[in-house]
Amino acid sequence: MSTQIQYYNHDDPATAMNLSQKASSLLSKSSLKRKSQVVSIVSAIEEPSEWAELEQVFLACLRTGDDESAHLCLERITTRFGAANHRIMGLRGLYQEAEAKTEEDLRRILQGYNQIVKEDPMNIPIHKRRTALIRSIGMPGDALECLVQFLASFPSDTEAWCELSDLYQQQGLNQQAIFCMEEALLLAPNAWNLHARLGELNYLASQSAQEGIATNEKYLTEAVHRFARSVELCQDYLRGYYGLKLATDKLSSLPQSKSTNGLASETLRRLNTTAVAKLKHIVKQSSSTASGPRKAELIAAQALLDQSGS
Amino acid sequence: MALQGTEQVIQRDPALFLWILLPITIVMILTGVLRHYATILLQTPPKPPSTPPEARERQFLTRGAVLRGNLPSSGLSPASFQVRKDYLIDNYKKGNFLKMGPESRGQAAPNPMSDPAAMEGMMGMMKGNMAMMIPQTLIMSWINAFFAGFVILKLPFPLTIRFKQMLQAGVMTRDLDVRWVSSLSWYFLCLFGLQSVFIFILGNDNAASQVTQQMAMANPMGAQGMGGPMQPGQDPDKMFLAEAENLEVLEYWNVLEGVEERLLSSE
Repeated sequence: MSTQIQYYNHDDPATAMNLSQKASSLLSKSSLKRKSQVVSIVSAIEEPSEWAELEQVFLACLRTGDDESAHLCLERITTRFGAANHRIMGLRGLYQEAEAKTEEDLRRILQGYNQIVKEDPMNIPIHKRRTALIRSIGMPGDALECLVQFLASFPSDTEAWCELSDLYQQQGLNQQAIFCMEEALLLAPNAWNLHARLGELNYLASQSAQEGIATNEKYLTEAVHRFARSVELCQDYLRGYYGLKLATDKLSSLPQSKSTNGLASETLRRLNTTAVAKLKHIVKQSSSTASGPRKAELIAAQALLDQSGS
Repeated sequence: MALQGTEQVIQRDPALFLWILLPITIVMILTGVLRHYATILLQTPPKPPSTPPEARERQFLTRGAVLRGNLPSSGLSPASFQVRKDYLIDNYKKGNFLKMGPESRGQAAPNPMSDPAAMEGMMGMMKGNMAMMIPQTLIMSWINAFFAGFVILKLPFPLTIRFKQMLQAGVMTRDLDVRWVSSLSWYFLCLFGLQSVFIFILGNDNAASQVTQQMAMANPMGAQGMGGPMQPGQDPDKMFLAEAENLEVLEYWNVLEGVEERLLSSE
């Protein structure tokens, strides 16, 4: 799992490669070059999407190790929007981190971030870079503290809530991770991947809880709910069905309790068969075309199916 | 009184069409376009919060609204909803989220004239008003000075006598058929009727027409709601208390209820 706060979706390496190869053609495009004041009045209106694309290409270049093109992209964006723009500062920080050779360099960059944040506490991208950097140099405790402080002032930042949830989960604090993921879901209530993630967190909590069967069952029921919601929102969501199968398996293997709010065993059985059927369907359909992380997901799904002997 | 059933015939100089009807129409369209661009130039984007406490004050207010709005679809369990609700209501009531801290409650709201941020908001509104008023006054007087008193157009359909005021402003003849339109009235018709032309030229969210401008004035929340919930001169403490009340009466329900049945029945 990447330790940096992502500015865009998880792309698999092939997509990033494709994107970074577009760099040279994009950089030679005239519309993104610097124009004098007079020319900019008569020439066509610039497209905001072109700049967004350039940013994506910049990130892809960094991912694929093409630092030279990344530098050119960054220069182009900086001349257009100015070096004092918060988002540009964030991107520049990202570039510097990628360039850094030693631990010492990284610490110097961190010092720079601290300085910027102290001078301008409203610089959100630099806040995030700082947290990500602290986390990636192996101080999760400090990163936690940093994020908690950040969220006390900016509680409507979904990205930060997700990152905090991930951090807590890494520290083994499942309760807190669940709380943070719920906050993120409040801000983005239809994000099926967050629903599935919350399901996973509940599942993990049920596996590590020592409070007895009743608590376990509560977590597992919640996990089943969440996975079901996520596949309701996104019909072919592999992760959702994978979790649904796991959670229903575990829940039906628990000794029957007397609690009334649990799910009926008949429903569980049917959910399980649905999930298995769907998993088989997805694996069969896309195993020939998939690549990268998607491939790994499919292999895992196949392994789960083999393991349960169906 | 005009005789019923007979048509009035007025010999119009064809130059009237070329030199009055056309110029007024073109000028009206051009002013609309100009007003659109002037408004864009004069607009100041809503100012982002400048300090973390200010950001906190704004974002916690939206947090309450988010909790109310997204509660069903986010599928919080009753327990975790209760925790959040209690936390927010408690802090709203104590004023912990206020920019200046809980001690600043109950102080009178600062005079909007002394607060630079509020002042800016008012200036923005003034500018918008100005962009609307000035061209209108100028063109109205221009038309009055040059083109008053011409009958320039005959509508191809009959109308009742009530329309006389609307269509024959500036022409004081009692006997004239209602179908004749005076130059000043043509100006008014252009003023109110060019909205679809502007949509065609400038796109849907244009600031050219004055009707839409007036509607925006009548409903300031719609126009400025994007800039954040804080309006100049409003007491954030009162807004927090109102939000706390809203949360208190919120009824719990959850989209996760019966999600399995929905899923199974959709297969």
